[in-house]
Amino acid sequence: MAEMKFAKSHEWVRPEAGGLATVGISKYAVEALTDLVFMQLPPVGRKVKAGESLGEIESVKAVSDIYAPVSGEIVEVNSALPNQLDTLGADPYGAGWIVRIKPDDPAELAGLLDQTAYDALVKS
Amino acid sequence: MTAGVLPVWWDDAADGPTNMAADELLAEEADRRGGPVIRLYSWTEPTVSLGGFQRLVEAESCAAISGLPIVRRPSGGGAIIHGTDLTYAAAVPKSHPWGGTPQTLYDVMHEAMVAVLGELRFDARLHVPSAADPSADALLCFSRRSPGDVVIRRPGGPAMPTDPKVMGSAQRRLGTTVLQHGSLLLATCLGVGGEARHEGLRELAGPPADWTARSLADRWTARVAEAVEIVREVQPATFTGGHLPEVAARALRFRDPRWTSRR
Repeated sequence: MAEMKFAKSHEWVRPEAGGLATVGISKYAVEALTDLVFMQLPPVGRKVKAGESLGEIESVKAVSDIYAPVSGEIVEVNSALPNQLDTLGADPYGAGWIVRIKPDDPAELAGLLDQTAYDALVKS
Repeated sequence: MTAGVLPVWWDDAADGPTNMAADELLAEEADRRGGPVIRLYSWTEPTVSLGGFQRLVEAESCAAISGLPIVRRPSGGGAIIHGTDLTYAAAVPKSHPWGGTPQTLYDVMHEAMVAVLGELRFDARLHVPSAADPSADALLCFSRRSPGDVVIRRPGGPAMPTDPKVMGSAQRRLGTTVLQHGSLLLATCLGVGGEARHEGLRELAGPPADWTARSLADRWTARVAEAVEIVREVQPATFTGGHLPEVAARALRFRDPRWTSRR
């Protein structure tokens, strides 16, 4: 399995076969938000730039944007997720995936954090 | 970089879209200054502010608040009936010690208010969740209870898990900043129906105490600044007045029915 990368805004991205990239939010982010109540996903086909909001998630007390870690076209969304928000906490790197993106430039991944650097970020 | 001070603006009353637009700009001000900022304000008419993803149809079908203008906040949480409350917006960069997790900024603001209310002889505390808590998805903020909400023991009575909530807050977590909205209920809003008539400080006061909304808020913002040993600076002008063109332009989004009915 290809190495997972992280954005400083707590999204993870994992390159998949066929040139796609799966995106979700980190376990740290899910736990910090606590008690998730609502999620809004983007439409399939939308083009996003890295750093642009691709969706929103609401916990009992906060609304947060979910940012695109890489630029590209959203080719698939986990449409079951808004009705099963517990999945984000239970399996944030598996069944809790949020969207699949067809990256414009796979080299963008190199600019993201690896697991070690991300772990250091959340501990700082 | 002006992170060593806490600027506090007292703004004139404005309508809902203007207030929401000013708060979005306030978040950018926090980013620019590299530290926390606070704006205190009121409303030109009783107004319902709806949480970021609350269902509009639910608010529109609530007879108790029928006829009041509705504005949707960018922040989360439950609907608030503004008119007899003190409303605040606080913004802080995520890199600031208060910007880490949602509960941190929430607790900073609420702990300072508990301390100030204690000075004014209210028996205030932070809410601890219990089995008696009402539903977390009630339409109205003051009908909900979340960990850390400010609640007050009724004068002469024992502390109860159902003691009234007088202050609640909710956030919008942006790219580099956190915007927190909050409301301190000063008195019951009489222009609404029964289920929306929550007790405020005036109704819950025990022995007479000499306070006004302004004096209470002054004590509160001073306490907040003390929490991180920075100097509070009450600004001589209003925040909105200093950003009129930008506020007016940004308010268009909050006036747009597509924003208000987004859910």
